[in-house]
Amino acid sequence: MNYLNVEASQQEMKLIQMGAKVEQINSKMCYIKFVIGGIPVEYVYNLNKKNQYFLERIKPYPLAIRSYEKVEDIVNVIEVDIRQFKNLVKSKNVRSFVDITKEFIGIIKRFEDLMLYYNVPADEVGVIMSKISEINQEITKTKETASRVFFDKEPENLK
Amino acid sequence: MDKLQQNNVFIALIVFILTYTAIISEKINRTVIALFGAVLMIIFQVMPQTHAFGVIDFNTIGLLIGMMIIVIILRKTGIFQYIAIRTAKISKGDPWKIFLLFSIVTAISSALLDNVTTILLIAPVTLVITDTLKLNPFPFLFAEIISANIGGTATLIGDPPNIMIGGATNLGFMDFLINLAPVAIVIFVITLFIMKFMFRKEFKVTEENKKKVLDFDEHKTIQDKKLLIQSGIVLGITILGFILHQAVHLESATVALFGAVLLLLVSKADPDEILMEIEWSTIFFFVGLFILVGALEEVGIIKTLAEKLIDLTKGNMMITSMLILWFSAVASAFVDNIPFVATMIPLIQNMQSISGMDVTPLWWSLALGACLGGNGTIVGASANVIAAGMLEKRGIKIGFVKYLKLAFPLMIVSIVISTIYLMLFYV
Repeated sequence: MNYLNVEASQQEMKLIQMGAKVEQINSKMCYIKFVIGGIPVEYVYNLNKKNQYFLERIKPYPLAIRSYEKVEDIVNVIEVDIRQFKNLVKSKNVRSFVDITKEFIGIIKRFEDLMLYYNVPADEVGVIMSKISEINQEITKTKETASRVFFDKEPENLK
Repeated sequence: MDKLQQNNVFIALIVFILTYTAIISEKINRTVIALFGAVLMIIFQVMPQTHAFGVIDFNTIGLLIGMMIIVIILRKTGIFQYIAIRTAKISKGDPWKIFLLFSIVTAISSALLDNVTTILLIAPVTLVITDTLKLNPFPFLFAEIISANIGGTATLIGDPPNIMIGGATNLGFMDFLINLAPVAIVIFVITLFIMKFMFRKEFKVTEENKKKVLDFDEHKTIQDKKLLIQSGIVLGITILGFILHQAVHLESATVALFGAVLLLLVSKADPDEILMEIEWSTIFFFVGLFILVGALEEVGIIKTLAEKLIDLTKGNMMITSMLILWFSAVASAFVDNIPFVATMIPLIQNMQSISGMDVTPLWWSLALGACLGGNGTIVGASANVIAAGMLEKRGIKIGFVKYLKLAFPLMIVSIVISTIYLMLFYV
């Protein structure tokens, strides 16, 4: 506890000098681990009294889900997520799904490096945008032709 | 002595020795083992539960809790970071001036707060400043540990041994200030000069890094001005309360707890959040210790030891005082001074009741020896252990012997000065 307070104080001091407003909140950090069909599915969530509940999936690939107002929602979200993964592992494409998702995350990080470290011409940005549109269109097209397998809730991002 | 009493003496002695051995070994959490030993004393009927609870010094407990609450709230204002950055900027990044001023700030803070709290407040800022200056943090943290232990000697509330002595006697805040602050100041000044010589080659900084320290903005650290004002006022009232507590016939715990609850009330801080940060492990450690030592007293061991000490010294105040001073110093250098003082207090009280002599000089001997002795080794005081842990996390390992070579001579110097002081003014 002493060590945590000392480390927190140092980080807080450095961040405040950078112009940040820092608020230290006592909370509980919970690590949740499942293994589904040999694939580790892990989450971390943070519970605190400020009515902010942050849930993030960390395996098989990191994905910030979102913040919640009610702690009960966290369990519901994890439950649905796990049911979806259980469904997914029955598919032959499960490994490809995990690999492609990791690739997408890698692309975001590379793109971030590109924009932060280099002066990228506007036309190159346009090319990258058009490639992203192509992928989006491919996803939409595939959705129209593929058969639906999960009905417990509606997709949030693919309408 | 009948068989039951003999059994109780035997049991109490065994439990006490085993518990203290375990505490000193640091192989088991000290709070757990102290409480375990205390509970065993009750289970084996060395003393009944009601009596066990009766020997807990709630003045010490109350004072510790009260001050912890005040510091927890005060810390949220950012005032300690403000003071540290302001101090570093006044020094214009000069490492020796930072060393000197941080030591002074630490000593003064430690006189008002306990040593561990002071180190936990000053160390993070010190580490950021030394990182910026690209300096080895060890000399600075070393000086702060030494300064914290010396500063804590000066007042009733500065160090747990003094809090415990105050709780057990009629000695109040002003008694400690008048009797111990002068010698603590002398020891501090002399120690600073010695440390400056010891670390004279460590303070080389580039002008560029000095300027980085000047770029720190201390005003950014004040996170809550309203809370700062409220905390400052309440801290002022609390210190005034300590100064006057004997005159108004209030115990020091009452003053501390009054300050704490007043601050909780006016600040509207979430009490659950604040109470969660209290070092309950330290509080329960004290509870266990009080019961353990109370059990020794119950079976007459302390009285026997007191009689033997009076026989040894023939009741001579000077010899007794020096014996307690030096024995306390050496013992406190190697073992935790809190259990040591917890055992010595009833011993001195028994000496008073047996011989009828005024034992006030012995309290000062015990306070000086136990507080300053903690400077002797890396395990001598909790503040030392915490600072060493912080350095180790940064890859700077301070070995027992390396620390001993630097700190033990400083501790001896402080005890020599204390010896002269006691001989001149008390014995």
